[in-house]
Amino acid sequence: MKLVKIPDDKYQEYRLNLMFDCYKWDPQFLDNNTVAKYALVLTEKEHEELVKITESIDKETIEAENYLNNNLKLAKPLALPTKIYGELKRMNNYESDKHVRLMRYDFHPTMDEKWCVSEVNSDVPGGFAESSLMPNEAIKAIGIEDYTFINFGDILAKAIKEKIKENGTIFFVHCTCYSDDRQVMQYLGDKLKKDGYKIIYGAADHIRFENKKAYSILSGNECEIDAIFRFTPLEWLKDMKPKFWDGYFDTTTVSCNHPIAIFAQTKRFPLIWSSLEKEGLSLENWKKYLPETIEVSKAKGKEGYIYKPACGRVGEKISIKEACSKEEYKEILKDVKKHPKEYLAQKKFISKPLISDDGKEYHVCLGSYTVNGKQSGYYARISHLPRIDSNAADIPVLIERSKKDEN
Amino acid sequence: MKTNKEVYKIWAPENIIWSGWVRPVPFIGINENLRVQEYEEFSIPEVLYIKEYQNDTAIILDLPGSSAIKEGLALAKLGYRPIPIYNGTDEQEGSSCLVDNHGIEYSLMLAADVLDQMDFKSDAAPVFLTDSNRMNSQKMSVKIFDNSWDVYSQDLPTPEYLKSHGIDKVIIRSDMIRKDINKIFYKFQKEGIKIYFTEGYEEPKIIKLKNIRYKN
Repeated sequence: MKLVKIPDDKYQEYRLNLMFDCYKWDPQFLDNNTVAKYALVLTEKEHEELVKITESIDKETIEAENYLNNNLKLAKPLALPTKIYGELKRMNNYESDKHVRLMRYDFHPTMDEKWCVSEVNSDVPGGFAESSLMPNEAIKAIGIEDYTFINFGDILAKAIKEKIKENGTIFFVHCTCYSDDRQVMQYLGDKLKKDGYKIIYGAADHIRFENKKAYSILSGNECEIDAIFRFTPLEWLKDMKPKFWDGYFDTTTVSCNHPIAIFAQTKRFPLIWSSLEKEGLSLENWKKYLPETIEVSKAKGKEGYIYKPACGRVGEKISIKEACSKEEYKEILKDVKKHPKEYLAQKKFISKPLISDDGKEYHVCLGSYTVNGKQSGYYARISHLPRIDSNAADIPVLIERSKKDEN
Repeated sequence: MKTNKEVYKIWAPENIIWSGWVRPVPFIGINENLRVQEYEEFSIPEVLYIKEYQNDTAIILDLPGSSAIKEGLALAKLGYRPIPIYNGTDEQEGSSCLVDNHGIEYSLMLAADVLDQMDFKSDAAPVFLTDSNRMNSQKMSVKIFDNSWDVYSQDLPTPEYLKSHGIDKVIIRSDMIRKDINKIFYKFQKEGIKIYFTEGYEEPKIIKLKNIRYKN
């Protein structure tokens, strides 16, 4: 794995193209440019290894969530929000082959030359355009033809199309006030629109359910929906009033993701692995790559653990001391003390930074997607700090063709 | 007609330190979704509250619709670099919505021609442009597309960044101080930036922002 520089004389055009041709509408966060000046290049061997690990872990995740769905008592230690826990029994009509299951696993290279998986983005992973269009722009800018990439968007769009009728209606549920959400939806929506599908962008409360089927109530767009693509996190839905969101849990309308995703979305998921193993499920691969994860109470007085919020997103509120301001670190510890069940303690791994040709160190978070159990592409971010959060820069992931393929 | 990329490049030229904060969102629709606003009168107003450019002062114009774009050009004449931070999206086709962003898109395009003819010092202090209608989030019906939006601290440079470029004063020009702006600039104030306010008729007066409870 290496960093390859986008040539300085091409960078400004590259960044502009990402904004206007590749749905990169958030190129700045505070004082940080969020478009990396590099591409992340994997060898084919690394790619093959990542595919194998990703799919093995994904298989375990899917088996676990299906098992939990039929054995909800086992899910209690996940400490899901009460409002959500109360709706889980509605999912007893869930049939995995009727929906599209999308996840992204976050990999990090470690100092002992291994991969570590810090978590799975099980519910609403993002980064679609960055993983689908950005690599192509990078290849054009770098000008080397030895690189290839996996077009995640093509794979995801195909999986959706396979589940619904031609020219069907797809509703993209997102927080309509956030342009950062819209850019993710708009990329996929435009792609499917070109293939003849009717696309509706709207909020979670613009959908009503009748006889378990989804209908759009958005003004000027009232109609039956053939597929729901949801980018609003489940734990945000529960705060919607009046309560129409429960229909998401038992709808027969094709969903990506279905709320089944909540079991693995909570970062407390590893806390029930031993119970699942007693029931005969295997989590062997997960355990190999995820750092030891324990209850906050059990980490008391132990060295080398960090705290993570159970419902955390984009690296926020993770207590990596050297990556937080003093004030932020203090705030996190205070919150952990106050709400220990909303956190977990995880053994800290030592991220191995990559060094660029110009001598700069970058930590990497390499997200590996799965769509219906198959590895489907990458989304990566780099940062000078070991915690990869909103301050990190998006970086396209390329794969270097091995020489044998050229012969 | 210029493309969205061309218009954006006029607002966010390369090698200008503030260009990174020009959000691309309102420029995206210029190619495909641009609605020509025939009623839109594009004239640059007279600025009464500030007489001359000051290198140590940044300004935020929180005015309705595209008013900040026009007033931003007036301040550009004094030497300030206008930096649009509009971040509202267009509504779903066919739907009613809470905020009309099309007028802003059209004005950014019109103003680009004027801006293109202006000269600035390379380190000219910024005037950030935003739409005070952005927080119109009261829906008459659940069926309406809510494209209201807030300004967040991540949409602006940090106080440290401003100070490192010799800026230790911020003037907020609006009819009132909205909650999102208060939240951001309260932190600036804590970091030693002096905050001034003007409604546009009088000279800006120094104010002390309070830490109000506000959840975005």
